[in-house]
Amino acid sequence: MKKLVALLALCSMNAVAEGVPIYGTIESKCVITTDTVGVYGNPTPNKLSTTAADGGVEAIIRYDVINANYYKARITYPNSFSTSPSLTDVVNWTGSVSVGEVGDAAMSAYDTNKVEYNNVYETDLSIAGSTWFKVSSTATYGYDKSFPSGNYSAVVEAECVAL
Amino acid sequence: MLASSYSYCSDIVYGSTNNAASTGYQWVMTNVLPQQAGLEVTGVVYRYTTVKNTEDPMLVTVQNKNALSTGYIFRSTDDWSGLPSNTLNKFVPTSSIPIEYWGNGEIAIEGQGEVKDANIIYNYQYDPCFDPQSNPECPRYINTDFTIATTVIEYIEEDPNKPITYKDDEQEEADSKKRSKEKKKERLEVALQVVSVALMTAEAVAQAEALLSMNAQIVNYELNNIPGGTYLEDASYLSAQLPDNNSGARNGLAQQILHNEMVESQYKSEK
Repeated sequence: MKKLVALLALCSMNAVAEGVPIYGTIESKCVITTDTVGVYGNPTPNKLSTTAADGGVEAIIRYDVINANYYKARITYPNSFSTSPSLTDVVNWTGSVSVGEVGDAAMSAYDTNKVEYNNVYETDLSIAGSTWFKVSSTATYGYDKSFPSGNYSAVVEAECVAL
Repeated sequence: MLASSYSYCSDIVYGSTNNAASTGYQWVMTNVLPQQAGLEVTGVVYRYTTVKNTEDPMLVTVQNKNALSTGYIFRSTDDWSGLPSNTLNKFVPTSSIPIEYWGNGEIAIEGQGEVKDANIIYNYQYDPCFDPQSNPECPRYINTDFTIATTVIEYIEEDPNKPITYKDDEQEEADSKKRSKEKKKERLEVALQVVSVALMTAEAVAQAEALLSMNAQIVNYELNNIPGGTYLEDASYLSAQLPDNNSGARNGLAQQILHNEMVESQYKSEK
């Protein structure tokens, strides 16, 4: 009995406990790429517009998702200039977001299933693949008031929101 | 219509075609793909815009016939039924399908609606040394060009046993001309013989090299190793006590008795 006790004591002295860490990194499976940078046209002195008819270029944003139904696209078209000359009057903003091109025909339904509020466009990315969203923006100044000369820029904010 | 762009990465050439649907929604692949031996199509990139009413049914298929069989070697269908018009951008990878399988292509529409601004591009790759004889810089190129070296051996055959005779000038001149003609004839025969031998040798070399090039990719089966080893002796007799052979003992005893009787018989007769 004594020998047995001595053996157990020896075993307990050799036992070593160690915490082994497991590391992991998560990279988003939703990638947003600027396909085309928008350009404001200036058809009249009081108007800046990205529509082709007004001499502008619509911004195009591409969303790539590897898996379906894990993300939604949230795109906010501008309601203020990020840079501009000093403005003393009100700027009236309008804009729109729509699906421009699709990697799968069924993605055409994104526009049907969209949710819009204020200047925000949201739609669930329910199909894996690439979707191109086009964003238009129009700004008019005061009541038929001319914009001061200078450089103007505005920002479209595109987000991948995890569902 | 042929290859629009190329890029080199190691030995493989990668490229993509121009728009196959630039002249219509049916196209002949021999006018689209570069006719390069060993070419393989690795993917199809297509883009088109549909014009339709949202509620209408519509199927758009981009496809290529199988040139070596029935059916299609490539087919990608997009279902636009109940969907609004839009522009589709799609890449469909193919598992490196050889050029000979690619038959004529088309965009087929089922249902109601139209397709416009179609753009069909085939990505391909090929090994420029697929046929090693196509380029002298290819690793397995076999040079079959060679120069036939001909050497005309000139010699004078003199008979050392020929007696020396003295001739007058005219006879000497006639003999000289005759010898000269004979020498020319002999030289010509020798030259023709050498050329003939050289040509035969060249032909044999060319045939051997052609045979070698045909068999260049055959694995030399004679070099295969046959697994072997040593078979160790494992049979053995276990030690045991062998019993005496009773019948043998009886036989031996009888022989011994007979032998003793024969030996003893001589003494009996002497007695």
